[in-house]
Amino acid sequence: MTALQCLPRGLTSATAWVVTALSTIAWTFSMPALAQGAPQKGGTLVIVVQPEPPTLASYQSTAGPIGQVATKVYEGLLEYDFQLKPAPSLAQSWTVSADGKTVTFKLQPGVKFHDGKPFTSADVQFSVMDVLKKVHPRGVNTFRSVTAVDTPDPMTAVFRLSEPAPYMMMALSSYESPMLPKHVFGSGDIARHPNANLPVGTGPFKFVEWQKGQFMRFDRNPDYRKAGLPHLDRLVARFIADSGTRSATMETQEVHMGGFNAIPPVDVRRLEALPHIEVTAKGYEMQSPIVQLHFNTTKPPFDDVKVRQAVAYAIDRKFVLDNIWFGFGRPATGPISSNFKANGLYTTDVKNYNVPNGLDLANKLLDDAGKKRGADGVRFEIVHDVTPYGEEWRRFGEYTQQQLGKIGIKATLRVEDVPGWLRRVYTNYDFQLTSNWIQTLADPSIGVHRLYHSGSIKPGTVFVNDSRWSTKETDELMDKANVEFDPKRRAALYHELQKRVVDASPLVFMHELDFVTVYNKRVNNFPLSPLGLYSSMDQVWLAK
Amino acid sequence: MPWRRSLAYALRRLAQAVPTVLVIVALNFLLLQLAPGDAADVLAGEAGSATPEFMAQLRKTFGLDQPLGVQLLLYIKNIVTLDLGYSFRHGMPVAQLIGSRLGPTLLLMVTVLLVAVGVGTLLGAYAARNLNRWQDNLISMLAVLAYATPVFWAGLMLIVVFSIKLGWFPTSGMQQVAAFHEGAAKVRDIAHHLVLPAVTLTMFYLALYMRLMRASVLEQFSMDYVVTARAKGLTESQIARRHVLRNAVLPVLTMAGVQVGGLLGGAVVVETVFAWPGLGLLAYESLFARDLNLLLGIFFVCTCLVVVVNLVVDVAYSLLDPRIELR
Repeated sequence: MTALQCLPRGLTSATAWVVTALSTIAWTFSMPALAQGAPQKGGTLVIVVQPEPPTLASYQSTAGPIGQVATKVYEGLLEYDFQLKPAPSLAQSWTVSADGKTVTFKLQPGVKFHDGKPFTSADVQFSVMDVLKKVHPRGVNTFRSVTAVDTPDPMTAVFRLSEPAPYMMMALSSYESPMLPKHVFGSGDIARHPNANLPVGTGPFKFVEWQKGQFMRFDRNPDYRKAGLPHLDRLVARFIADSGTRSATMETQEVHMGGFNAIPPVDVRRLEALPHIEVTAKGYEMQSPIVQLHFNTTKPPFDDVKVRQAVAYAIDRKFVLDNIWFGFGRPATGPISSNFKANGLYTTDVKNYNVPNGLDLANKLLDDAGKKRGADGVRFEIVHDVTPYGEEWRRFGEYTQQQLGKIGIKATLRVEDVPGWLRRVYTNYDFQLTSNWIQTLADPSIGVHRLYHSGSIKPGTVFVNDSRWSTKETDELMDKANVEFDPKRRAALYHELQKRVVDASPLVFMHELDFVTVYNKRVNNFPLSPLGLYSSMDQVWLAK
Repeated sequence: MPWRRSLAYALRRLAQAVPTVLVIVALNFLLLQLAPGDAADVLAGEAGSATPEFMAQLRKTFGLDQPLGVQLLLYIKNIVTLDLGYSFRHGMPVAQLIGSRLGPTLLLMVTVLLVAVGVGTLLGAYAARNLNRWQDNLISMLAVLAYATPVFWAGLMLIVVFSIKLGWFPTSGMQQVAAFHEGAAKVRDIAHHLVLPAVTLTMFYLALYMRLMRASVLEQFSMDYVVTARAKGLTESQIARRHVLRNAVLPVLTMAGVQVGGLLGGAVVVETVFAWPGLGLLAYESLFARDLNLLLGIFFVCTCLVVVVNLVVDVAYSLLDPRIELR
């Protein structure tokens, strides 16, 4: 149970009239939710996806909304359970050699692509070596040590690695590394392939049509490898640009589900009170986003670690979480999300900035740093670039401004649109302080290193090391963790990394953001894995 | 031959429009360059991560590594051959993308224009004929209310009342996605979905045309030819129908022609609120994605649309009032 689900669901003033006026209807709606039991066949599940995905080429773009739709068509070699342990998918079983440099996958026999052609190890080889390793934004990194994929027989794929790559085993889901048919994508330019928006996969749903600006339609794959699945006849993704309208469609039951905050937090509390609506924060354990304040550590005043620590002390994480993000999340302690408690990588043994006397400590640090208050009480002035992702970020910026004022830092807010802001922060480094949220993804090696490694200071590449902080020691820790297969020793490396990063405070770790999925109680068997909306949804069923 | 003259006039006007359109295209191109950041930034930003090699590869594919002048010349050259280019964000030719969205926009626009101009002129004329009586006061008051209501708010309120509370109309979209109707059922379905967005957008323009028509009719009634008509012994309603309405409707027509461009802009809000898959929404999204090829393509189509509509309005003048010569 998450914090959300534990909240009292009583008759608040907002819901009282609904229940009185619609008590009969309400009962009818809530009945199916109580009727847990055998899955019912058929029906069309309508999910609202925000924003509309630019393409369906999940092998080429990791944009969030693409993952929500493409994962119904394509499958990966592995799935993952809530302990973040790999589970079979297209690969039936796998073995890792003692030196970690050979990984052998035994594939599911008898799997067919939607066009009827069989799925074999040649498709695995093609997908990894010719597609993911070349055009996937993260695959280039994930598979960097894969030198070859051997195909001794159609049901065996052997990955040859130049060095061990423990993180790779966490990146083989359909969302991260979809398996494509070689006979379709093998010819032509993969970057501009005619089948980019006509996906052919092995998944439980077949792509039918995409009416741009309206919907995508996926119909049940009758030849799916799991007999009797999927339960649904059809899955439709709808695109609705206005957040108020998205909430309205949940109310009128035109839409059954919306995740990744498609239903804005400000509406979630209201919808949650409706009898036919359920809310969950589960199913995002492999995204693990963390909200952060980013310093430009190369220029005064934030090149001084004391000034950075002062800011970290001054911000009240609980306040921001409860009042701006409506309580959807947990205060963060460091660069690695507490979701990694499941496999031991996370530690709380770090410097704690979340203390009641934070403002006093902050003022003292600033005094020590030689930033004395002037006659007007101001120590120095900065510009704070507000993240242009919507209302809550604006408010977070205003809160930061106010809180910094208390410790004598006068902040002016600057608001731009997304492309302008990205250019300023990640190409021109023309900022002092900004905020962002970074998905730390399925493994720190994929999601965390990029923010702290000296090798990730790359102008023009977004969501990497924009604070431009790095040390030789932390670089080494990350390099070792990349190739360390022993879970205990790997965890020790990450514990040390967390300690050092939190001490240096190149970012202020605010909170681990919980995405929220709002769904109709008629939807059952969701979420069944940490991939949530990025899973195939083959077992989801809709109560009549 | 008035027909031949109209045709010659139309062709001449179209030929004159070509350089205008090209200048607009070049201006659009240069103005959009002022926006910081590019499509590669946005795509990588949405992806959540990317390598520098990947970004460089994207920019090369998009042609963003070329000098600005070369990009502009290439674009103009393509436009002249009616090639609107390729949207890398959508992985589709721009023309195809716009084609698929033009239908819904035109459906919404034509519905709104017809209802707004038609009902607006009728109500305006009716109000003017009942000057300062309760009919006039009621219509005028409602018009001011409709005129003053922000479009997005009106849209959301219509959704709350007619979709959530009453359940008469769907909240959004153009068709019922769970059903996928075909044939006549599909037409009915689309009409059903059209009601709320069309009403929302119509309210504002209807109020505008009603007020314009009312003023125009009042003005015409004070003209000398009305006195002459009265002297001929015509009844008031005959004068209104045969003489005044024709003359009074001209300013409304002018306004409607000018506002076609504005209507496309106003449609952005309505298309967003009601998830109507039109051009306005596409333009809005492509701006924030810095999908300049697509945006320029939409601007181009809108420019052409405005040129054509204004030509149609000019021709319509001469039909309504034969004294106006097409030259």
